[in-house]
Amino acid sequence: MDWKRHRCARNRVRGIGVWTGLWILAGGLLTGSVGAQRAARPVAAKIAWHGTWKGGLAEARRTGRPIMLVSAAPQCHAVPGVW
Amino acid sequence: MDRSFLADQDVIAASRKFVCIRLATYEDAEESRMLRGIFAPGGNLQNTVFALLTPDGKTPLVRSGRSPVWAFGGVRGPGINAQPLESIKKMGRTMEAIARRYPGNERDVRGPRPVPYLADLRIALNVAAADRQPLVVVYSTDRVQRAQMERELSQVVWSEPFVGKVQYVAAQAAGEFKSVQGLAARSGFIVIQPGTFGLTGRVIGTLPPETDTADLREHLATALNRHRPSQLSYNQHRQAGVRAGARWQSRVPNTARGGRQGGARRGRRPRR
Repeated sequence: MDWKRHRCARNRVRGIGVWTGLWILAGGLLTGSVGAQRAARPVAAKIAWHGTWKGGLAEARRTGRPIMLVSAAPQCHAVPGVW
Repeated sequence: MDRSFLADQDVIAASRKFVCIRLATYEDAEESRMLRGIFAPGGNLQNTVFALLTPDGKTPLVRSGRSPVWAFGGVRGPGINAQPLESIKKMGRTMEAIARRYPGNERDVRGPRPVPYLADLRIALNVAAADRQPLVVVYSTDRVQRAQMERELSQVVWSEPFVGKVQYVAAQAAGEFKSVQGLAARSGFIVIQPGTFGLTGRVIGTLPPETDTADLREHLATALNRHRPSQLSYNQHRQAGVRAGARWQSRVPNTARGGRQGGARRGRRPRR
C-alpha cells in the first residue's frame, strides 16, 4: 500500500514535470515566433542622405529640388560611431 | 545630431521631396568653408549645422542654425531629443510648403538618381556605425566597371525597403579595406557590418560586380538581414568607447567651443 501510494505520488510528480516541460516548450515557441516576427518587421522609414556636398548639390541642381542640409561630427568626446 | 525632428514620419515624408545632404563636420576643408558660410557664429564652425536651402545651395529658406530648433522652435541643451510636437509638426508643414514652391523638374526627378555616396570608407564606417546601419561598398579597380555597378545599384537604393536604411561608399583599391575583416573578393558589392565604434568593419556579404538590378534587390536584402546593429544607448556607447580607447581624429580642426577633441578634457555635451 505504501509502495502504491509512493508510486502514485511519483507519477503525479512526473505528470507535473511533463506538463511544466510542455508549458516551457510552448512558451519558448511562442517567444521564438514573436522574435521572428520582430526580426521580419520592416525598419521604420528613415531620411535618405547624400554623404557629400558635391554629390548632393549636383543632384539638387539636376532635379531643381530644395536642399535639406545637416552637418554633424560622428563622434562624442572623440568616441566615434555616434551622432 | 537631432533624433527628434529628423525621426518624425511627417518630416521624413517631406524629406523625400528634398535632396537631403548630411555631412560629417570637420572632415573636409571645402565642405567646412561652405558650412561656415551658412552658419558659424564668430566665424567658428559649430559641431552641428542645419539649413534648408534653394536648389542651387545659395539661399537659406528658413533660419539656419545648429539644429531645426533654430528655425522651428523647441528645446536647446538637455532634452534636445524630446522636442515639442508643435515644433516638429511645424517643420513638416514648412518643408511641404517649400516643396510645393520647388517641385523640381518632373523629368529629372523621375530619372535615374545617383547612389548617395559617403566620401570614403573611413568616414563611411563611422557614419554607418552612428546610424546603426549596414554599409555597401561598390568596389572595383576598374572605373568603367564601377560605373556599371553604380547604374545597377542606383535602381535599388531609392526604393523600398532600402531607401534611407543603408550607407554607401565607392572603393577602388584593396588598401582602402585595411580596417575591414573578411574581404575575399577583388571586386563586387561588399556588404559590411561596421564595428560598434565605426573604426573597423566585417564583411557580411559579397555580390559579384555583374549582379543585375533584380538579383541585387534579392541578394542585398538577404545580406543586409545579417546586419546586427549595436544596442548600446548613447551614454553606454560613450562610456564603452572611453573604456575601449576608441578615439576619432577629425581631419579639419574642431573649432566648436575651443576645439575639444582627441585627448582633450571631457566636459558637458555642447548645447544644440
